[in-house]
Amino acid sequence: MSPELIIAIIVTVVGASTPILIAALGELVVERSGVLNLGVEGMMLVGAITAFLVVFLTGNHYLAILLAAAAGVAASMIFGFLTLSLSANQTATGLALTIFGTGLSALAGQGYSARPVTLLGPLFPAELALHPIWRVLFGYSALVYFSFALVFAVWWFLKKSRAGLILRAVGENDLSAHSIGYSVIGVRYAAVAFGGAMAGIAGACFPLLLTPQWAERMTAGRGWIAVALVVFASWRPFRLLAGAYLFGLVMTMELYAKAGGGPLSAIPAELWAAMPYIATVVVLVLISIRRDASNNAPACLGKPFLPSN
Amino acid sequence: MQFRLEKRREPSKAMLYATPVVAVLLTMVVGAIIFSLIGFDGIGAVREIFFTPLTNAYKWQDLGVKAAPLIIIGVGLSIAYRANVWNIGAEGQYVMGGLAATWIALLTYGMSGWWILPLMVVAGIAGGALYASIPALLRTRLNVNEILTSLMLTYVSVQLIYYLVRAPWKDPMGMGFPQTRRFSADALLPNIFPGTIVHAGVPIAIVVALVAWFVMSRSVFGYQMKVVGAAPHAARYGGFSENKTIWLALLVSGALAGLAGALEVSGPFQRMVPGFPTNYGFTAIIVAFLGRLNPLGVIFGGIVIAITFVGGEVAQTSIGLSNAATGVFQAMMLFFLLAGDILVRYRIRRVVPQTAEARS
Repeated sequence: MSPELIIAIIVTVVGASTPILIAALGELVVERSGVLNLGVEGMMLVGAITAFLVVFLTGNHYLAILLAAAAGVAASMIFGFLTLSLSANQTATGLALTIFGTGLSALAGQGYSARPVTLLGPLFPAELALHPIWRVLFGYSALVYFSFALVFAVWWFLKKSRAGLILRAVGENDLSAHSIGYSVIGVRYAAVAFGGAMAGIAGACFPLLLTPQWAERMTAGRGWIAVALVVFASWRPFRLLAGAYLFGLVMTMELYAKAGGGPLSAIPAELWAAMPYIATVVVLVLISIRRDASNNAPACLGKPFLPSN
Repeated sequence: MQFRLEKRREPSKAMLYATPVVAVLLTMVVGAIIFSLIGFDGIGAVREIFFTPLTNAYKWQDLGVKAAPLIIIGVGLSIAYRANVWNIGAEGQYVMGGLAATWIALLTYGMSGWWILPLMVVAGIAGGALYASIPALLRTRLNVNEILTSLMLTYVSVQLIYYLVRAPWKDPMGMGFPQTRRFSADALLPNIFPGTIVHAGVPIAIVVALVAWFVMSRSVFGYQMKVVGAAPHAARYGGFSENKTIWLALLVSGALAGLAGALEVSGPFQRMVPGFPTNYGFTAIIVAFLGRLNPLGVIFGGIVIAITFVGGEVAQTSIGLSNAATGVFQAMMLFFLLAGDILVRYRIRRVVPQTAEARS
């Protein structure tokens, strides 16, 4: 393999991993607060269509990212209202949100499927990334650097900040947190909104970072993989980073196996396409064999908060 | 004036049955308003999606054909969800059922005999149940979350169709189209009314729902499912095995999804094509909830959702509304239903604040 090819592969892996990483970090914070939002895929699609439409109409990529985040928050608030204020079943509501986001994005994107937009360009000036080696470090768009910063930010928030401590307390023992005087519902609303914003930005990665157009269901189950990754990472941000890149690698292998000849191209294309999903199942099995994974789950995950009973 | 929620001693039966109806009505009203606000013909959309399929007698056979797989899959899911087992991969089990039936149809290609179709149906049931046994095995042995595994396997099953119809099962006379041969006559599901498209799957769906209702309300199996779902601790004291319940829930819901797959491929499709996964497995989740996780209610839920499918197609041709609008309406129904659930468990009490008295 030539160095050029290796660098091209690295750049593709980074691109494929970024949206999963951002969405999964959002979901990690949501789950740490004790809420299971299975609507990530739907919120990502809402973010993707919003970002696409904004770029298509205004050409402003950063405005697109901002509004995609806002759209993700708006979608997440439907979930928040139903599960937190009305204590509806979280699993069912999350599924409904995914169905809703899929339909809404397809409806809003009707007639735009063949219209090209431009990708978000690199953050740093092109001179910094002239040499291939430097391109690996400085050749990406702002979304990629954002995803790295987000890993540290989420880690710091959960581990070092007072607000993060409260959030974890709410996720581990909501009744105790409530009796000390913290607003369980308020904290959870904030976490769900953050998860929505991150899912929206993750969705924006698809038209802005990967394929510069709109296609129905263009997130293709990546939101679900993000949910699985949170379990894989046993609710820890740095393990999430490793997991997201593992998946980015699996997805990228598909592209290169199809393109370059050799023994890998003998494997049917459909098996490559199925690989990320098979890998998710395998990974879930592997971590469940390892003991500590399930013990680390927030104690109140998925359970409604009912202080009056 | 303020309102306060007060927990009911017992869940309200009246609210339990009223909420799905209210959810459908609210979806029509709110849907018409929202669709008008975002620049569509909102009232037209609601009229075409919810009423035309009912008023136009020609559409009734469409309704039956669309409702049948939704009811069959929805019944299975309602049993699983009752047991608190979240199989959301019914779409994949439906696909595997369809593929298993296709396999038999291709093996017996050119043969004739009454046994071919029943064999396909049995293969479909086995295919769906086997595919659902993967999440069951992983959940009971390794405590792996069945939501994620059953969903991931759906994506895998769709790729399996693409592979099979592109290579080993491809129709040699198909002019390069990725699809199997059209099945022989004895591998096709008969129509029950000549001159219509209503196939034997429609009465089968009704029978499945009735049998499931009887089993769930009258047998130990049904009791076990409900107790493990509602009160796992009590169930353990009562000697019901949680693992056995998980297995049963996944096998039954997988088998029924597989049955629906076999009926669809031998009925409306008549061959395996890449477009076989039509989201029935996902939409049946809404059907199960609209039906209140009760097999008889699922018949109602299946018909309502079938109306929106048929109506969505009508709206596409008559007022140029995208098919995606159907999904938005279906999701809205589920949102309203879940929101209404609180009225089943709580009652709204008017609270007269003290300050109001002081002022008067």
